Amino acid sequence: MSRKAYLRPMEGWWRRDPFFVRYMVREATAVAVLVYTIVLTVGVVRLSQGEAAWNGWLQAMRSPGSLVLHAVLLVSMFVHAKSWFEIMPKTMPMIVIGGKRLAASTITRSGWAAAVVASIVLLSLAGWWRP
Amino acid sequence: MDVFKADVAIVGAGGAGLRAAIEVAESHPGLSVALISKVYPMRSHTVAAEGGAAAVTQAHDSLEEHFHDTVAGGDWLCEQDVVDYFVAHAHEEMVQIEHWGCPWSRTADGHANVRAFGGMKIERTWFAADKSGFHMLHTLFQTSIKYPSIRRFDEHFCVDLVVDDGRVRGVVAIDIASGEFRLIEAKAVIIATGGAGRVFRENTNGGIVTGDGMALAYRHGVPLRDMEFMQYHPTCMPGTGLLFTEACRGEGGFLLNKDGYRYLRDYGLGPATPTPRNKAMELGPRDRLSQAYWHEKQKGRTIDGPHGAVVHLDLRHLGEKKLRERLPQIYELAVQYLGVDPARAPIPVLPAVHYTMGGITADIRTAAPLPGLYSVGECSSVGIHGANRLGSNSLTELLVFGKVAGIEAARDAVSTPHGNPSALAALADAARARVLAAVAPRVDGERIATLRREMAQSMEDGCGIYRSAATMQATCDKLAELKQRHRRVRVDDTSNGWNTERLLAIELGYQLDVAQAIVHSALQRKESRGSHQRLDGYEQRDDVNYLQHSLAYYQGADAPRIDYGPVKITRSPPGIRAYGEAGEHYDAVAHAEEAARA
Amino acid sequence: MPDAVKSVEFDVLRYRPEQEDVPAWQRYAVPYSHDMSVLQALQHIKDELDGSLSFRWSCRMAICGSCGMMVNGKPALSCQTFVRDLLPGPIRIEALAHFPIERDLVVGVDGFVKKLEGIKPYLIPKEPRTLAQGEYLQTPEELEQIEQFSSCINCMLCYAACPQFGLNAEFTGPGVLALLHRYNADSRDGGRAQRMDVLNAEEGVWSCTAVGYCSEVCPKQVDPANAVNQNKVNSAKDYFLRFLSPKGARR
Repeated sequence: MSRKAYLRPMEGWWRRDPFFVRYMVREATAVAVLVYTIVLTVGVVRLSQGEAAWNGWLQAMRSPGSLVLHAVLLVSMFVHAKSWFEIMPKTMPMIVIGGKRLAASTITRSGWAAAVVASIVLLSLAGWWRP
Repeated sequence: MDVFKADVAIVGAGGAGLRAAIEVAESHPGLSVALISKVYPMRSHTVAAEGGAAAVTQAHDSLEEHFHDTVAGGDWLCEQDVVDYFVAHAHEEMVQIEHWGCPWSRTADGHANVRAFGGMKIERTWFAADKSGFHMLHTLFQTSIKYPSIRRFDEHFCVDLVVDDGRVRGVVAIDIASGEFRLIEAKAVIIATGGAGRVFRENTNGGIVTGDGMALAYRHGVPLRDMEFMQYHPTCMPGTGLLFTEACRGEGGFLLNKDGYRYLRDYGLGPATPTPRNKAMELGPRDRLSQAYWHEKQKGRTIDGPHGAVVHLDLRHLGEKKLRERLPQIYELAVQYLGVDPARAPIPVLPAVHYTMGGITADIRTAAPLPGLYSVGECSSVGIHGANRLGSNSLTELLVFGKVAGIEAARDAVSTPHGNPSALAALADAARARVLAAVAPRVDGERIATLRREMAQSMEDGCGIYRSAATMQATCDKLAELKQRHRRVRVDDTSNGWNTERLLAIELGYQLDVAQAIVHSALQRKESRGSHQRLDGYEQRDDVNYLQHSLAYYQGADAPRIDYGPVKITRSPPGIRAYGEAGEHYDAVAHAEEAARA
Repeated sequence: MPDAVKSVEFDVLRYRPEQEDVPAWQRYAVPYSHDMSVLQALQHIKDELDGSLSFRWSCRMAICGSCGMMVNGKPALSCQTFVRDLLPGPIRIEALAHFPIERDLVVGVDGFVKKLEGIKPYLIPKEPRTLAQGEYLQTPEELEQIEQFSSCINCMLCYAACPQFGLNAEFTGPGVLALLHRYNADSRDGGRAQRMDVLNAEEGVWSCTAVGYCSEVCPKQVDPANAVNQNKVNSAKDYFLRFLSPKGARR
């Protein structure tokens, strides 16, 4: 139906709006999750290979390069969590409790609350348990 | 020229056009329907209607009450048999559109809710939040998608009816995207193109409400009836004219002058009760409220604003919660366009043109005097509204008479053969040539906007809330002059595709013709009735000489010829339009007298 | 209150396919007033400066959905976007993103309309009911489930916001999927099974990556991102149920 309708190119679309840039950063943090998964997997494998391998891995984890990587990964995880908790309400159907709609902010805060509780539990376990 | 053969063609895909199309498809699935609209259906101005649709619903209500409210509201210029049909079929149409999915607002137990509305004695207005027209239009459009027999011609601008051998046999339309002309042959044509409020300067209407279908029928000899009756809605936004629904008042809003005084009590609408009382104060009929504003302005009791004198619509006492729940769109409108928070400050409002009571002459079957032609909705004068329309009667009209138009046009199409193709093609080619010559690109001549502004200002001056012979005559003269100047209107755009300037030039032609019908009908009606009020010696209603419909007949470049036709009075002789406490007393006396007679 | 600003500049992306091959920017100076909308500025340009500028508009009150366009790179309704919020200018006006430009600020929307027509966007009643039986009952709570999703004015700003639609025009898209959800969620409707094909398709909910910009730009707070993403769960359930039951999840 178009008589010579003009199609504008999508090249560089994500640079056109800060909203899209933030979206791409959110997507990129999934890479951080992937990288850390690999790091932990390597750790589990080293653990199964005996004490020497395990200690070697711990040593590597303490190296300056590794500490920098972990700092970057930690920030990425935080951004990942923040952006996903923000989008989480969009994935849920309307919930009405006692005549009032469950607000998106409540859902986001519940996500954070769960994350904080889980982190405290894990850190406590890690701090308490000694081989 | 491209030719499409349909059984029924419908020009206009708003509430009335869509309802008619659905009815043809439902009742006669073998017939093909061409649904032609200059905009996509969901853009039709039905979408902006807010308040609701009236239908007798509550046990303590009756068809007789709705009939009486409507006939009295119309100042006895209604066709009473048509009103009887209308009120009797309103409820089933509300249920029908609900069955199609319309999200009506509900009572706690799940039934459709009804609210109070201006001029209605008992609450009977069905509503969908404060976006009733929006929800009705979208429901109708989405429902129409079910029917394969409806073929839509979206963004097709109708430029002429094809009339051959004394009968309408199709339409010629421009495919806006390409600029190409198309002949759509049909055995019956329904016009549902809406009103003509844009001929006035301040109005609630969208840009598309330019009286197209009225002008097309008019130019083919169909009289436009009761055109002088233009409704001023009392509560509109200064500057833009955008509507603040009557529902604001139905929910309990007050109208205050500069002293914070509920002035309507001074105009026979009192006493002022703190909660809404039907047919009293702010729930009086629209013509009375607009007239009261005019009087307050004369007395210097209105408030001066950047866009003219205003009064205050005070909704503060409703509270933010109720406002956000029952009037959410109004809330947004006030905040975004005026920077006013209605929960904390009153909204400045003034009357603006809102609805065209008159239109294409239509009988109870929606048939025009020209065979093969039907009209429905705001573009038609079927006889419900008379001299003043009650709020929430027109959305109901779209459904009740949309259905009638569909059935009647379908029946007509079934028993009518197609026209002679070569004769119709020749007529279509002639129409195309005429249109292109009239709006050829030229760089001399005047801009469309200049002529349009002069027309709109002149109509506001001559056909305002109160009228007098001198100003009406000045408007008659001005319009005659503008029609001349329109023949050399300037069009910059030389393209064919999406040449909206060409369409605006054609629309201006329609508007000038319809405006002439309005002002000449007004000048000749030497009485005051409903929304036609005069200050020049004709301040009273004159049932002896003017209990008649005006009929405007097109005379080309000359002024229209105004004739008169009888009003069908069956059982309600002209009485007093009384509202407020006086009205309740009057009604009680009238009922007692009727009971005594029975 | 006198306005210090007298005139504002507008850069409008023009395109006249009969005269040129590519769009080009054109600048106009428009007299400024405090309450003017972008639409009113465009009307001034067309009325007084250049009658050949084409754009869609009608209601002027953000309910007809005609006037969507890009204002300074963001999808907006021109009738509801005020020049005072965009000062000092120049203000960039362009046709709605991700749609083909037919002419100036007019985009081709029949793709959208076809998608809307393709989802069975009408009530398919769960139970039959005659007119004489009156309206279906629906509580205010049940109505609340569909209220926001039924408020879509078909303005397509969400499509201009959605990069997935921009990258793939076959994606059903936020607005149409929100309308689909509106009918599925209507307590009176029983047509969910008939609409699953649209949801389940690659171009259905699964093209959405939860960017969420659609809900940000929606002028009616429909929240199409919510409509689409909550239906990913429904689509997944439907998929698994089809494995469990020989007749699938269809009723």
